[in-house]
Amino acid sequence: MGGGGGGLAAAPKVKRGSFATVRKKKKRVGFVLDMTPLVDIAFLLLTFFMLSTTLTTPQTMEMSVPPETENVEVKQSELLTVLVRDDGQIFKFIGDKKTSPPEKVNLKDIRALSVNENMRLENKLILSLRISNKVPYGLVINLLDELNIAETEITQRLTVKGMKRERKFALTPLTDEDKADLKDL
Amino acid sequence: MSKIKKKRVGFVLDMTPLVDIAFLLLTFFMFTAKFKSDTENEQKFQIQRPRASADTSKVPEKDLAMIKIGIDTVTNDTAYYYSLSNEQDRKVVYNSDKVQLSDEARQKVILKVTDLKVLEALLKQTRMANLRMKFAIDADRRVQYKWIEDLTNVMRLSNATVFNFVTDRPS
Repeated sequence: MGGGGGGLAAAPKVKRGSFATVRKKKKRVGFVLDMTPLVDIAFLLLTFFMLSTTLTTPQTMEMSVPPETENVEVKQSELLTVLVRDDGQIFKFIGDKKTSPPEKVNLKDIRALSVNENMRLENKLILSLRISNKVPYGLVINLLDELNIAETEITQRLTVKGMKRERKFALTPLTDEDKADLKDL
Repeated sequence: MSKIKKKRVGFVLDMTPLVDIAFLLLTFFMFTAKFKSDTENEQKFQIQRPRASADTSKVPEKDLAMIKIGIDTVTNDTAYYYSLSNEQDRKVVYNSDKVQLSDEARQKVILKVTDLKVLEALLKQTRMANLRMKFAIDADRRVQYKWIEDLTNVMRLSNATVFNFVTDRPS
């Protein structure tokens, strides 16, 4: 269609297709390519790759355990113990459990608890986690995640004060004694 | 002069921008696509990972020893599944005579381990074969914590004290 313009511009008053005009060769200004099959294939591949890729790549949470179970003397006053009972109920006590009996805590309050206690004792706090081996693994990860979130806040607050964060953390199994203590709570 | 209206027999659509975008997306998905590894092909269970938001580092692809704890979809029993990302290390570790495995199991990519002694031997051989090896625990969120506890104890004994828990981003 566009190519016809050249012919018309040369002889504007003559009707198109008349025998009087000598047909000029159409000047090509471009070319038309039928892209339909190309597009078909492109979209076919596109849908294939879109459906076959999983965009959620798994993440990791780093953990480390001490090489050998060595007994380290700790001050009772610097100890925060978090216990997880068989049914997944979480308890905490600070220091000696005789003077401060275990209290029930919600998973959501763990973050605030860790931040508050760590700020009170400033790097000296040792967190002892005693987890029953009957709870689902997902709950343990949720608990550790809350503590990790708290950790960033603690590090931030301590950096403001000019201190370097040293995390002290122990993951131990729930003893029979603990189980007996938590039974009626 | 009366002009005769041209009868439209079809219409022309400029598909160039459409094709541009289509190819752009196509190349993007082609480059990001990752195909199932041998390990995943042999796997007969689906892991529902626990969700965590604090740490967002990715699972390394090289030098990785993966310990999966999965619940079999058919028999419903839990077991450890051990696999190594490097084929060379896999050959060395699986064929080591310190590890008690059946000849059939040695040929596999992913090992089903039920005995903690075997797992300990595997971990020790892995550490000997490649010191840069990183360990990752990929467990189903429904398994009892006992499985993790036993595993971390075995890892402690094999001197693999730093490891990663594989998690998913919360949706």
